[in-house]
Amino acid sequence: MAIAETQAISSIRSGGSITEALGGFRLWWLVVPAFVLFLCFFVVPAVSLFAIAFDKSVPGVVTFAGNFTFDNFVRIFTRPLYYMAILRSIGIAAVVAACALVIGYPLAFVIAKTEHPGRNTFLMILVLSAMQLDTVIRMYGLMVLLGDSGLVNGALLASGLISKPLPLMYNTFGVVVGLVQVTLPFMVLSLIGIIKAIHPSLEEAARSLGATRAQAFWRVVLPLSMPGILAGSLLVFALSISSYVVPALMGGWKVMVLPIHIYQQIAETGRWQFGAAIAVVLFLTSLLAVFIYHKAAARTAGGRT
Amino acid sequence: MKNWIKGVAPTRRGFLKGSAGALALGSGVNLFNINHAFSQDVVYDGTVFDAGGATLRIAEWGGFWEEIIRKELLDQFEKDFNCKIAYESSFPWFPKFVAGGPQKPPFAVVNWNYGEMFKTAAAGDFFVPLDEVLANLPNAKLIWPFATENGVGVTWSYSRYCYAYRIDLVDPKPADFKTFWEEKFAGKRGTYITSNGLQMDFFIAACKLFGKDQYDLEAGYEAMRKAMPMKISDFTGNMQALLERGEVELAVQHDAEVYQQMDKGVKVAPMLWEEVKPILTQTKTVSRYIEPTEKKLAYALINRTLETKLQSVMGSTFYQRPVNRDVVITENLASKGVTNTADAIAGYWTPDWKSYNEHEEDIVETVNGIFAG
Amino acid sequence: MRDESPIPLVFKVVAGLALLVLLLPLAIVVLAGLNAGDYLTFPPQGLSLRWVKAFLSSPVFLSAYFYSFLLALAATAISTVIGTLAALYLARSGSRAAAFLRGYFMLPIVLPGVVLGLSLYVFFTTTDIGLARTFTGLLICHVLVTSPFVIATVTASLVGFDVSLEEAARSLGASPWTAFRKVTLRIIAPGISAGCIFAFIVSFGQFETTLFLSVPNREPLPMAMYISLRYKFEPTAAAAGIFAIALVVISTIITSRLVSLRRVFRA
Repeated sequence: MAIAETQAISSIRSGGSITEALGGFRLWWLVVPAFVLFLCFFVVPAVSLFAIAFDKSVPGVVTFAGNFTFDNFVRIFTRPLYYMAILRSIGIAAVVAACALVIGYPLAFVIAKTEHPGRNTFLMILVLSAMQLDTVIRMYGLMVLLGDSGLVNGALLASGLISKPLPLMYNTFGVVVGLVQVTLPFMVLSLIGIIKAIHPSLEEAARSLGATRAQAFWRVVLPLSMPGILAGSLLVFALSISSYVVPALMGGWKVMVLPIHIYQQIAETGRWQFGAAIAVVLFLTSLLAVFIYHKAAARTAGGRT
Repeated sequence: MKNWIKGVAPTRRGFLKGSAGALALGSGVNLFNINHAFSQDVVYDGTVFDAGGATLRIAEWGGFWEEIIRKELLDQFEKDFNCKIAYESSFPWFPKFVAGGPQKPPFAVVNWNYGEMFKTAAAGDFFVPLDEVLANLPNAKLIWPFATENGVGVTWSYSRYCYAYRIDLVDPKPADFKTFWEEKFAGKRGTYITSNGLQMDFFIAACKLFGKDQYDLEAGYEAMRKAMPMKISDFTGNMQALLERGEVELAVQHDAEVYQQMDKGVKVAPMLWEEVKPILTQTKTVSRYIEPTEKKLAYALINRTLETKLQSVMGSTFYQRPVNRDVVITENLASKGVTNTADAIAGYWTPDWKSYNEHEEDIVETVNGIFAG
Repeated sequence: MRDESPIPLVFKVVAGLALLVLLLPLAIVVLAGLNAGDYLTFPPQGLSLRWVKAFLSSPVFLSAYFYSFLLALAATAISTVIGTLAALYLARSGSRAAAFLRGYFMLPIVLPGVVLGLSLYVFFTTTDIGLARTFTGLLICHVLVTSPFVIATVTASLVGFDVSLEEAARSLGASPWTAFRKVTLRIIAPGISAGCIFAFIVSFGQFETTLFLSVPNREPLPMAMYISLRYKFEPTAAAAGIFAIALVVISTIITSRLVSLRRVFRA
């Protein structure tokens, strides 16, 4: 318990003392295995593939031919089918991140504050099971719920609340629900640890100084959860913007997002140069979005974190 | 042999030229041997031989399909020919072929649907010419001519394109191809994404029946536009579920799946297209640049798939039609009116896939736009 | 202080909603897997173990299940080790390089799985390093997509960790390794085990990357399920899902038992 307290209140220290603590072992050595693995098997292959985005688009050619051109990018930014997909991808990922946060935070809070070990394990199992079940078949489960003659529409029709089925899937709404379903566990798991680490005494202190419960939450608990909120939303955003299966199944091909275009160009038409160009755009877009979010979050968090 | 060496150079141009070159050098001796072997003629006469534990790399559909093919064909084949089958089921195959180039085919025998096969054939010198394949298949004389008319591979099993409709929800039953566009099916009709072969055939058929000929893309686009709103599915399995739940009442399908659903008690029936008669084929190719033993095994395997035994099994388990003239249609298909006679197979139509693939980029872009609404 | 639940009511309500979103599709799939009918349908036409038996007797599904299990285990082991090491550096180094690397290690998640799988496939094929469609090649890909999760969770658990604790242990005579093991490792253990679970689940469910990298004769479970749903909507895939869930339930119970046992012994 004492450790947890120290953990919550203290902050990281950095610098030379660790080098000493590790007995002359250089700290950066620790990062070398992961760094090298990523360099060889992620950076090199991805950059090589990205390079062909600047090649002339020829079906069935996969290596860099050296016919330098921006045509692929021009095509993306002059045809609404593609540039609208960029905006749609960002929009959907942002909405999903927000929804996952709003419903995920309370669930993480409940799990973090459930001290009974059995009950806690039970809740964790529920979250992890939902995560473990194969995405494709989980989407089948959602289709049964949200389809035109699905359970939700069936219940509403039977109760007479509606006379025609509501369009709950094969549209943007369906894709958002699907993505929230898939990414929610990632959000919850990112938050639980952080919320647990916030010691109750901090909230109590705020209360004893006259803050209402809501005030104590907004002024103390929530700001202290910021690292988890930040990490969770970024994770959910990244998973959503790069998802192919969920928009493909839940969007009924009416919600064209970037990964669908990429998949079609690569697996179907064989225009890998164009597919790679869309992948470059997607990659840079999400990096930019992450960067902006980081800056904005750092500003709103102000001096608190 | 000269060709082969020349051919390998351009595929190696590219990002890691240096390291790739060094690695190729390391395995140079081995490559040379394989190359040398390419020039040998391979002849297969239909007899069983000992392959000495060689591996035959094949690509075919996974899941239940794989289970049946292994049980009914491959297990025995491995024993008879003393070989090992490396079975891969992670579609699509086209990118895997082009990634390695013709000289490094990922598989020796591949099971295709037409669209992807023609695309791969157009992208390079990947396959043994069909005449040469047929010369090594003694059973080829038993099959209907349409099975090899595509000019690239050997079709060994197929089904017919149709609409699947709900017998309890659709009245009167659909009359012809254009029934699909009737107002009452708005939002209740279904087809597939542009990468699905069924949608490709459906689109080309629409071009032909609504326009001047199969090359009349504008007519096809207009037909797709008029069919909206409709449900778009990725694969037939999903469409089966939509039909079963009644969310779709009329869908583009191939008859094998409809028969299967019927026998599972789902209230559906097929309406076979008669104005044009495209077929959904299972077609096999043999890769050109492979070792002689593997090539011989490849011929042996395809030869076996044409035997009546396997053809009947495909009928009784997957409701697939045979290409072998001698096959007696199994009861499950016969009860649906399927026959295996010269009359029945007359008039099958293969779209001009070469032309489709040349225009695919535009078609995909435009149809995606229409589907997205 | 006041006699109130530590959890506000509105949180309980929203948490219930979140659980509903998570579990309803799950319940449907489980029931569909216990369907007595021929078809993956809902509501099920009576309950039976028919499809569970079909799963257990299916060579394709069963071997896919164990293959995925093995692959996930190997990927988890590797990414936990290299990820934890990297996280120790990231959390302790205040250098700009560390800030850069934090972003660097998240990159594989941002790239769509199809692109990652394809780029690796092209890389393996064109360089001729013999990894295309091998277990090692697939494993490398899984390590790439699982490591970010380990790095993120372990780094998070190190935030707020006071290095002086480790120093204190050392000043009391512990060797650097003992100090690390007894102090640091113990504190970040929850972070590591969370990272493990993350990594395992992510690897077990990898589908898009696997499209290009899968190994002949060895179909991972998501692939087998997708293919079976693609062609025939059979409840076997749903039954396989039940077993996938069982895996997580069992391992979570075992982990929590181990943790609570440890607590008992410490007390």
